[in-house]
Amino acid sequence: MFGEDSVSYLSTLDIKKAAIITDRNLLRTEIPGLVKKALPEGADSMVLGDISEEPPLSEMTAHLSRINDFAPDWFLAVGGGSAMDTAKILFALHERPDLSVYDITPLVKLGLGKKSRLVAIPTTSGTGSECTWAAMLTVEDEKRKHELASPEIMPRYAILDPAFVVSLPPEQTRNTASDAIAHSVEAYGSSWHNAFSDAMAEKALELILGGITGVMGDPKNLELRNQVHVGASMAGLAFSNSQIGLVHALGHALGAQFKTPHGKAVALFLPHVVAYNYDACPERYDRLNRIVPEQLREASFSESLENILEAIGQARNGIEAGIAEAEYEANLDNLVELASESTGMVTNPKDAGSPELRSLFMRAFSEERP
Amino acid sequence: MTAYMEKLNSNAAYEDAGRNWEGAMTFMVQKDAAFDRDGYIYLDLYHGKCRDAKFSLVETDLPTPEFKYSGPYTNWRKLINKEIDPIQGLLTGKFKLQGSMMKVMRFTKAAKEMVNTTALVQTEF
Repeated sequence: MFGEDSVSYLSTLDIKKAAIITDRNLLRTEIPGLVKKALPEGADSMVLGDISEEPPLSEMTAHLSRINDFAPDWFLAVGGGSAMDTAKILFALHERPDLSVYDITPLVKLGLGKKSRLVAIPTTSGTGSECTWAAMLTVEDEKRKHELASPEIMPRYAILDPAFVVSLPPEQTRNTASDAIAHSVEAYGSSWHNAFSDAMAEKALELILGGITGVMGDPKNLELRNQVHVGASMAGLAFSNSQIGLVHALGHALGAQFKTPHGKAVALFLPHVVAYNYDACPERYDRLNRIVPEQLREASFSESLENILEAIGQARNGIEAGIAEAEYEANLDNLVELASESTGMVTNPKDAGSPELRSLFMRAFSEERP
Repeated sequence: MTAYMEKLNSNAAYEDAGRNWEGAMTFMVQKDAAFDRDGYIYLDLYHGKCRDAKFSLVETDLPTPEFKYSGPYTNWRKLINKEIDPIQGLLTGKFKLQGSMMKVMRFTKAAKEMVNTTALVQTEF
């Protein structure tokens, strides 16, 4: 469901007990109230608002006993990627208390959905998590992000209401838009690309690039917010059908090691990976480059991406992203190791081994444009 | 099997991608319309190298592996000809995996190089 007041769709669902999973920042806003107001008459609700950004497993599972006591028949994930991924995992563990999170893979039949259902209402534009069967899990003592995935944790409904993103602060707007752009680009370049993912990726990029600079300048513009919001979801559908690549492999590694916000992390690598990949899929990237608004378009797609990211005020090197150079260099081996374990290594259009990963990590940190 | 093991151990990309892998794997080629017997290929994989490789038509003749990757003969032929990706094959039900998917997903590049290596070995179907 998408568009203005699409949250009212909740009133049509057979909701008796809704567990609203949101995060600490949103708890202070009107957003949880908007969701409660949209519930069917007579529905009971609880709000779980103590979710931090990119929470570790231990934090997620600490909430389980409250959830189990309440026994919801609907989980409403209201937030960014962290809240949505947390809701997916809590939903799975509530449905199957015997489950290990590491069983959340496409190969294991989980049998979810017997007690409850999941709806996602994103408040960022965005991770696309509302449309994917993936959930990122941070395991603190491993300093690693696990990519959990199962079709059974995909939300039954995604509600894309622009009222839920209109107050998103500039930093989160640019970070989540950067992530959505990376999703579109990676889905399109993926070695698993197909007609479905291509159609979603191209349209997603068109919508996001056509709206994001306007949103940065006029954040209360509901029409532009709606456009970018829908585009970000489409980008999620795109990569759900063709996977991510090296940008996310590198970005997840950086995020796990340095707790860099995900969108900021992928934005560092995106133009450099595109430049690296170019000779493996030139026509694909040239086609995407034609979607870039003229005032931001360069001869090469990687240069165009640099312009876009600069135009929205995104960090363009490691220092701007808040990472100390000495610490970065000291952790390079760890970063390469983590990145090499990502599934993005296989679906990236061009092969990369440890030397190539190291080079990309170094180039992204520096001032150099690709 | 010897030829494949030699090729795999000379594959620098495999050595890099599999440098942290520990765990033996059996590939099961299931009989189908194109091949009338089951076949089993056992590989002892350790830190980017293959320490042992055996073939048998009887599974119990081989050591018990940590992982078993199985699929019909026809799908194996497509895999070797790169018409099927090994991980996509799992996700679409063309192949089955016994063993920790979570562990395997961290080494998808190594899996890809193992398939790439088969193309270097002269194979008759």
